[in-house]
Amino acid sequence: MTKTYPKASRPSLDDVSCSIEKGEFVFFIGPSGSGKSTIIKLLLHEVTPNKGRVIVNGKDVTSMRSWKRPHFRRSIGCVFQDFRLLPNRTAYENVAFALEVIGKTKAVARRVVPEVLELVGLGGKEHRYPHELSGGEQQRVAVARAFVNRPLILLADEPTGNLDPDTSIEIMRLLDRINRTGTTVVMVTHDSNIVNQMRRRVVEIESGRIVRDQARGVYG
Amino acid sequence: MRVKYVLSEVLVGLWRNVTMTVAMIITMAVSLTMLGASGLMYRQVDNMKDRYYENIEVSIFLTTEVTQQERDDLGAKLKGDPLVKEVIYENKEQAYERFKEMYQDAPDLVSAVKPDQLPESFRLRLVDPEQYKQIFDKYTGSAGIEEIVDQRRLLDKIFNILGAVQNIALVAAMVMAIAALLLVANTIQVAAYSKRREVAVMKLVGASNWFIQAPFVLEAVVAGLIGALIGFGALSLAKVFLFDGSLRDLTELLTPVGWSDVLIMLPLMAGAGALVSAITAWVTLRFYLRV
Repeated sequence: MTKTYPKASRPSLDDVSCSIEKGEFVFFIGPSGSGKSTIIKLLLHEVTPNKGRVIVNGKDVTSMRSWKRPHFRRSIGCVFQDFRLLPNRTAYENVAFALEVIGKTKAVARRVVPEVLELVGLGGKEHRYPHELSGGEQQRVAVARAFVNRPLILLADEPTGNLDPDTSIEIMRLLDRINRTGTTVVMVTHDSNIVNQMRRRVVEIESGRIVRDQARGVYG
Repeated sequence: MRVKYVLSEVLVGLWRNVTMTVAMIITMAVSLTMLGASGLMYRQVDNMKDRYYENIEVSIFLTTEVTQQERDDLGAKLKGDPLVKEVIYENKEQAYERFKEMYQDAPDLVSAVKPDQLPESFRLRLVDPEQYKQIFDKYTGSAGIEEIVDQRRLLDKIFNILGAVQNIALVAAMVMAIAALLLVANTIQVAAYSKRREVAVMKLVGASNWFIQAPFVLEAVVAGLIGALIGFGALSLAKVFLFDGSLRDLTELLTPVGWSDVLIMLPLMAGAGALVSAITAWVTLRFYLRV
């Protein structure tokens, strides 16, 4: 599969092929601009490849019409480096918002949201606003929001990029716990510490090509 | 819950940017008032045409020195003409009576005119009023005829004036509509920008497109409807104070503007306002939100 952005001199991803099994935990590593984040965008159907196909949850995303995208995205959770929380809503409201905008009732939210906040270790802090929470806690809220709809896949784009090492480890434990519930976790990072500690599958990308694909790998 | 969410978003959206909302509503109201006025004018001209074309006449005025022979010949010829439905001869006395009646408000004028000074005439009803030209060509130059006057011509002048006013109102409505359109587009952009975080999250978690767009589109539609209501109010005030007030004599001379005519403009204005706003908002979102 190849993806070239308009105006780019070389493809962001050049003839890349990779398959991830259900329930796997995969790191995509590589230097900035190597094309890691493009993978996330492709999986989210934010961009489409120029050549080849992207298949997610058994569905060919490449040929998916854009009006089907919202429904498709409900099966994918997403976490980013910058958390992307709504500043004027509490932790509870941020998570509930994700449910309510896809048509879940307030009653469902009242039942599910405290549960998932408890799961990410934020019990008792439901009614804090993002600015009243530490970076690690904010990322926990983001993880809760990504996971509350019980997605099949959790995509994490440098989730520890803004966190100190200790907090990063805690977030990784959380992602690991989520992975153990059967959720596939795809994480893009260049945090070598974390990759080395986790000992999971590592796919290394350089200049748009896969240069290494190793089970239980290290950053190298 | 979703409906409640969308509605509360609409109100919050309108309030957040209230100066722009007010500007949007005012331009919309002015534009729609113009649209309503031109619609009213159109109905008015229609009503008038119905009313006056029924009684339309062609008048053939005779010269003062017309002979009995010429008059009788002309009368016979007109009666035998297949284009003419009805011929009425009007002598100087009758013309004077009519003149007195027409100008009863101006006694000075009436007293200054003697029956002798008024011309005799034949009043014709045509089978088809459109065929005036043929009558004109046929009889012009016949002995004893001073002038052939088609009342339709006179009315057409009035209709032309009303038509011109209607066109001016329509052009004004269109120009204001462009301003309103740009304001709607701008308001929606500002609204989308101030809600960009929410929109980003909604897109991410898979909220449906209509759910993301509805608050913005409805925001514009509500503003359009408020504009239409204000415009309708302005039109109603115009009826009460202008058509039934200071312009009363004119409107009664032509045809009075009825409430039913004014009322029928409400759905027209509301429909136009809502539709234009909705489409503008939707198109703006397609470019700006790319959902």
